[in-house]
Amino acid sequence: MVPTSSRVVLMRRGLLRTALGLAGGGLVARSSLAVPDDDAAESKLVEQLIGRPAVISPRVHLSMPPAFANGYRVPMTLSVDSPMTEADHVRVVHVLAPKNPIVPAAEFHFTPQNGSAVISTRVRLAQSQAVLAVAEMSDGSLLMARSWVKVDINGCA
Amino acid sequence: MADVQPRVQVPGSVAKDEIFQVRTIISHPMETGLRHDPAGKLIPRKLINKFVCRYNGAIVFQADMHEGMAGDPYLAFNLRAAESGVLQFAWEEDGGAVFTLEKPLTVQA
Repeated sequence: MVPTSSRVVLMRRGLLRTALGLAGGGLVARSSLAVPDDDAAESKLVEQLIGRPAVISPRVHLSMPPAFANGYRVPMTLSVDSPMTEADHVRVVHVLAPKNPIVPAAEFHFTPQNGSAVISTRVRLAQSQAVLAVAEMSDGSLLMARSWVKVDINGCA
Repeated sequence: MADVQPRVQVPGSVAKDEIFQVRTIISHPMETGLRHDPAGKLIPRKLINKFVCRYNGAIVFQADMHEGMAGDPYLAFNLRAAESGVLQFAWEEDGGAVFTLEKPLTVQA
């Protein structure tokens, strides 16, 4: 039985293939398909967990080591470019580890009193994966960044 | 049970409107409820599931933490200095226990 999320991904791939096929480029279609596979699963996951789709934004910075020996304690620094005023600030940042047994790792709630939206912490990663940070801004927009981390030891066992 | 020991580092004195860093850590195993003991029995979940920082009574930063947070959860974040007063920190554990700490803050005019 195909889990719901993969089925949706497959459907989306089908749609894409059709769309690109109509556009007339068989070769283009095949090379473009390699990327949307992961992206589609990722946006589906964000939509499922947070309720709305997020867009990748250069305003969100998720800094993690590209490779880390053990997944028990992987450092991360997360920042969002924002003036942090009453009118324009970061409300919350969700940290998601899509390949962990429990995907949401933490939510950090900010206020204008923070002055800047920065948080440093340490997370557990069960396997190598692209960690996601989704920032919910005061105007309701959802901005996202991802950081690929390769770990050698499962930090959730 | 291991000792749960919260620690916080803040500058003793800051200038008004200065953005300063607050570093917090609490020694805690952050038991996920996914592990088994040597006898094969599931070890029950016990996490610090919430951290709250109050500045003169108002919540200025909060973290909801789940299984994916590392043991001895460390959080470093920023605050903007408004007026002198007190910073209160609280860590809430599964089951309802709360660990707290307070730090005075002096803001130079």
